[in-house]
Amino acid sequence: MSSRSLKIIGVAAAALLLASCSTPSSSSSPGAAESTDGGVAVVALSDEPDTLDPTIANTFVARVVFTSMCEKLYDANENLEIIPQLAAELPITSADGLSVDIPLREGILFNDGTPFNAEAVKTTLDRNITLDTSSRKKELAAVESISVVDENTVRLTLSQPFSPLGAQLADRAGAIMSPTALAALGDDFGTDPVCVGPFDFTDRVAGSEINLAKSDYYYDKDKVKLDGVTYTFITDPNVRSANLRSGEVNAAERLNASDVETLETDQKVEVLKADTIAYQSLSINVDPALSASPLASNPDLRRALELSINRDALNDVVFNGQVTPDCAPLPLQMAYRPEDITCSKFDPDEATKILEESGETLPVPVELLIPARPTDQKSAEVIQQMANDVGFDVTIKPVEFVSALDAARAGQFEMFLIGWSGRIDPDGDLNDLVTTGGANNFNQLADPELDGLIAAAAAVTDTDERQKLYGEALDRLDELKANIYLYHDSWFLGLSGITGVEYSSDAIPRFKTASLTE
Amino acid sequence: MTRFILQRVITSVITLFLASIVVFIGARMLPGDPAQVLAGESADPALLEAIREQFGLNQPIWVQYFTYIGQALTGNLGVSTRDNIPVAEILLQRLPITLELAGLAILIGLVIGITAGVVSAVKRGTFVDYVATGFGLVGLSVPSFWLGLLAILLFAITWQVLPASGFVGFAEDPIGNLRGMILPATVLGIGLSAVLMRQTRAALLGQLSADYVRTARSKGVTRGREVSHALRNSLTTVVTVLGLQLGALIGGAIVTEQIFVIPGFGKLIIDAVAARNYPILQGAVLVAVTGYVLVNLLVDVAYAYLNPRMRLSGGSE
Repeated sequence: MSSRSLKIIGVAAAALLLASCSTPSSSSSPGAAESTDGGVAVVALSDEPDTLDPTIANTFVARVVFTSMCEKLYDANENLEIIPQLAAELPITSADGLSVDIPLREGILFNDGTPFNAEAVKTTLDRNITLDTSSRKKELAAVESISVVDENTVRLTLSQPFSPLGAQLADRAGAIMSPTALAALGDDFGTDPVCVGPFDFTDRVAGSEINLAKSDYYYDKDKVKLDGVTYTFITDPNVRSANLRSGEVNAAERLNASDVETLETDQKVEVLKADTIAYQSLSINVDPALSASPLASNPDLRRALELSINRDALNDVVFNGQVTPDCAPLPLQMAYRPEDITCSKFDPDEATKILEESGETLPVPVELLIPARPTDQKSAEVIQQMANDVGFDVTIKPVEFVSALDAARAGQFEMFLIGWSGRIDPDGDLNDLVTTGGANNFNQLADPELDGLIAAAAAVTDTDERQKLYGEALDRLDELKANIYLYHDSWFLGLSGITGVEYSSDAIPRFKTASLTE
Repeated sequence: MTRFILQRVITSVITLFLASIVVFIGARMLPGDPAQVLAGESADPALLEAIREQFGLNQPIWVQYFTYIGQALTGNLGVSTRDNIPVAEILLQRLPITLELAGLAILIGLVIGITAGVVSAVKRGTFVDYVATGFGLVGLSVPSFWLGLLAILLFAITWQVLPASGFVGFAEDPIGNLRGMILPATVLGIGLSAVLMRQTRAALLGQLSADYVRTARSKGVTRGREVSHALRNSLTTVVTVLGLQLGALIGGAIVTEQIFVIPGFGKLIIDAVAARNYPILQGAVLVAVTGYVLVNLLVDVAYAYLNPRMRLSGGSE
């Protein structure tokens, strides 16, 4: 795609951003209560964030906090399209795909008053690709160097064409840190982070809360109604619900799907739903040297297992019909997702037939490793019942999450019920997850054809061409059947005494335009 | 008495040293790599190695232990792997919160437990006794997480008289602090009161049937004075049980703090286990063990004071 067409998309995307600001797809409604300026919103997160250093941070909840205090070069809208945030336009890629210019917005200040400019962006991106403990290194692996073109333009030189770059810069890799704070704090930046954002970090009480206050330097501060946001950490979803109902917190993320009906009967509480890009799957170990189950070496048996699972029934029984059943890792709202994906229908008779014709001794044994969490336990039991009905013998092995992940990364499992939080670019949903030697390739898949398709798709910039390549990659993935994709998660945000909160596909609540209600 | 105390102090120091080894090794026996937890979904081998290097996790375990213990003796307990905040700073923030919670829970437990135990013993075989012993049974049987959620449902959601969660420092807002602490302290104290009630009742009944009480009764001592004498002698058992219950109290605090979102020691330990945050886990458990050992040392001393036979036998009883 030429730089001209990218510019046109940039203008269109900026227009879309403006439109989306005025009519968000999923935001809290004012209701009968009057909204007020000022006050501090209390938000219950489902876990405690790790360090508040965008170069190092890895938790989802840290991303939630960053959204209030660390804006990025790019953001994603509800259709997962990249839109400029601190950048002035979409990235302008050279004809050979090896040079990317990023024009920046002018007249912006960090929350400590430091000017935001190309030098500041270079400082952050250099740190992201050089710091030993940087979690962004791999995300920006294609970036060879960063240079300042002028006061408001940076140039990224790439080692190979890399289309997912915009998406990477719409995540933590694109969160720009104040060079003044970086110089003062160095590796301890996360203890007192300073970026560009509607709110500024005030303090953190370890294990308890993170406090942010409205920024005086924010370029769009007229839209910010709250005096501050306090993020508190409540790990138990039942306790988060109770605190929401009692009015102790104004917003609670990731509520239980099973609690939604009850919460919606409470007049003070509003529940917003995000059909997320995250997915859940059954990851099957396909290395016979590591897995004793016949599924490891026989794709037909894996196909029979998929045919035995009724995704709609799983949705109804475990999630009250609230998730989106699907058979592909790419979410439905993603532009690169092929339009012709057809999931195989639940067909227990066909599954039984395949098993009987396979020559295996029935029932076919397989051990299902699951993280020891109530929802996963329920899902596993439903899957076990369905699979056992057609001739499998599924045994469930619940293990504490970190230990389960450890076992899975070592290949010590036969089948693993595991999710992925999803990425806005398809490369992030496939590369490293199903490619040979990938750190998250639990099922030990090693298929050169699939690797080649995923690598080729990341290197082309044309949308149609990328979509075609991802279509072929998904077809190949379906043939291999190393993963049985089950559904895309829906997450729920509960609100009480607050309005104007934005919530969409990335499941990150945004409080920039929120206000408390009387 | 001095020799007795010295003996107990030496035993306590040895216990603490052994506990430090157990805590250190125990933390590392947990399956799951802390570097993997910190790296999250991005499990890049180079990043994992850099994290292990940063926190010294790639050193042999004995090197890690002696480095840790050497630093710990100077008051440096390392930094939290999650957010790089010094462990000592975090513990100093959390310890007073759990101490306040435990103190209030003990107060509630003592008031309810001893009162109910005395009433139950004095009114043995009556309706009041059945109610008190029934309370003891329920208090011991009901899990604190259930009691906690029930308390939130009733007091915070239905009647809205107390907050469901949260903690405000006493110095910052004394009323707010006590309002936030009432429910968790009561939930924690009820379990303790049930144990104390049963112990008080049993000990007091034993004393009330002792020869010296019968003699006093035959000499016309009032019922109140009779109970007062017997109660003082019963308290040695109650004090010992109270010391032993400290472990249960810390265990109970872990659950209670999770439910009421009290940023104390219990919540800290649970979060540290989930995150494989070794420095926090070691520091918190070591401080808890130190507290437990110190309280039992004090209980031993108090016991020796209340029961002279203890110090005469040098604690070998």
